[in-house]
Amino acid sequence: MSTPLTPGTGDTGGQQPTSEPRGGQTSAEAAGSIRDRLRSPGPQSSGGDTRGSELTGADFQNTDSRQQLRDSGRDEGQHSEHHAPEPAELDQPRGNEPLDPAQARRSERKVASLFLLSVLGVVGFFGVFWFWPFTFGVEEGNPYYTPLLGLTMMIALFGIGAGAVVWAKELMVDEEAVQERHPFGSPADERTATVAAIQQGFQDSGLPRRKLLRNSLLLGAGSLAALPVPLLFTLGPYAHKERALEKTAWKKGVRLIRQNGTPVKMGDLQIGAVESVFPDVPRGTKIADSPALLIRMRPEVLTPLPGRDDWAVDGHIVYSSVCTHLGCPVKLYEQQTHNLLCPCHQSTFDAAEGALVKFGPASRPLPQLAISVDQDGYFIAQGDFNEPVGPSYWERKP
Amino acid sequence: MSTSRTSRLSNYAVLLLALTMVGGLYTAFGAPKSAATEQAPQSLSVEDGRRLYLQGCSTCHGLDLEGGAGGPSLVGVGASAVVFQVESGRMPLAFGTVQAPRKKVRYTTPEIDALAAYIQRNGGGPVLPTGSLTDGDLQEGGEMFRTNCASCHNAGGAGGALTYGKYAPSLKPASARVIYTAMQHGPESMPRFGDNQLSVEEKKAITRYVRYLMTAAQPGGNDLGRFGPVPEGLVVFLVGIGSLVVLTLWIGNRA
Repeated sequence: MSTPLTPGTGDTGGQQPTSEPRGGQTSAEAAGSIRDRLRSPGPQSSGGDTRGSELTGADFQNTDSRQQLRDSGRDEGQHSEHHAPEPAELDQPRGNEPLDPAQARRSERKVASLFLLSVLGVVGFFGVFWFWPFTFGVEEGNPYYTPLLGLTMMIALFGIGAGAVVWAKELMVDEEAVQERHPFGSPADERTATVAAIQQGFQDSGLPRRKLLRNSLLLGAGSLAALPVPLLFTLGPYAHKERALEKTAWKKGVRLIRQNGTPVKMGDLQIGAVESVFPDVPRGTKIADSPALLIRMRPEVLTPLPGRDDWAVDGHIVYSSVCTHLGCPVKLYEQQTHNLLCPCHQSTFDAAEGALVKFGPASRPLPQLAISVDQDGYFIAQGDFNEPVGPSYWERKP
Repeated sequence: MSTSRTSRLSNYAVLLLALTMVGGLYTAFGAPKSAATEQAPQSLSVEDGRRLYLQGCSTCHGLDLEGGAGGPSLVGVGASAVVFQVESGRMPLAFGTVQAPRKKVRYTTPEIDALAAYIQRNGGGPVLPTGSLTDGDLQEGGEMFRTNCASCHNAGGAGGALTYGKYAPSLKPASARVIYTAMQHGPESMPRFGDNQLSVEEKKAITRYVRYLMTAAQPGGNDLGRFGPVPEGLVVFLVGIGSLVVLTLWIGNRA
């Protein structure tokens, strides 16, 4: 690190440049640099940069032009490539001869009419936008408003684009120009200067001498590395201390409300009716894990699961409407078959018998909410669901 | 030669004149008669309803609405169910399937009303409210539709699949009376929405919203079956990108 890099030494190891760089050139390579070869016919002499000439001589095709660029300076070299092509060396360019004046006028008119077509498109766009708009609620309003806007906009853009293409193809001189690339590496003297500047800066900062600065910097960087450790505590079992996934907003005595906030009363639902219900707590209709479906069926068709004999009231039964497969809303109820269907993957639950799975990818029945009726006749929950709602997760106890 | 052609042409002209006159006379004198025959069913009686019932429905539903092997009892279904089933062409049923399909309507509106009146008088049940069915609050109707109906019938009313071959039908062909009575009596798989659950005003609002959804002008042109962004994206991709590719190839060939 203390040894500065110098041109001519280092990784090339004093290797001599190849004196016959064109021996292995293919015909394509030869064709690519034919002009350069005409200009500098002999094998090039190695300059100060042995690495550069080694690369250009053995590996790249544009050998001479690279050297030529380097010799003439980079920026000038780029511009120097825009010489007019010499007919003897390049393919005869197409369309280079002067245009027939009548033909040119015709092409000019064609381009101009395409540009004017674009103006027509813009005028049409304005016309549709202002004079023939779509009006909400009016059945006689323009039924093709959006497509017409798109069509007129397309005409406007197409006119400009097509005009430009025709202009370029018919009126402009078709010239084939070759622009060579310059070498990617910086010149050797720039590289040397950069390395020297970095080393000088390292010395100037005083880090090798000032032990206090160095040690305190190491300490600071080390404590910075410890910063993400607390974030790990938000993962895994520590995150579930509150058992949030096992609880919903339902509590003992909470009323069942509709989406508009009104509580559901005994007798509101006829047999064969369903109602989406939410817990009557603040923001109760917005809590994602609490929506449920209240179903009323004839009491005699209900077959309660063991231990759930008093969870339904006179044929009214409530299930979580979050699918146990992937959490879609299960609200498609068939009142004749008592099937509850999930629209996402067709999981089918038997609402008459504890929402057991009849079909589909769901593996567990929908959790059932035990309900009763308060003294005013409104439905209330007996408590929370007795199991986590929705899809399975790692820590879920089966 | 020329005279025979002229006479043939004049023959055609006379024939045309005669036909026009006959048509005009028929229109002039026949029209009041046909208007009168259309006036008559407006006052079909409950007795006419009984006759229609015995002819068209009693084979399956029984002579006294008691039902039978082929069809359920109609006691308690009310005029509402009759309007839904007959006006949507589902009844009379042609053959038994998992779900009665919508077919060509077999009865005129006065005949449907007479049938409904007969079944209402003898069986009882929910009836249609008086007044317009589509004068509810459009915005409220939209909210109620998305809450109560969209889970099965699709947010755009296009319908969707249920279990074992059953389906929620598209709401496109449904008249206002059919939409309202469907909520009222809950046909087949559909849950029913009684007046304590969705009030008359709320049901009217939903009816208005569904009719609006199906008849309102489409600002984007073709609605592609109202199935939402999936077919829209597909069409944009296939037609849009496809034509761009073809255009690009054409430009490339011309260049």
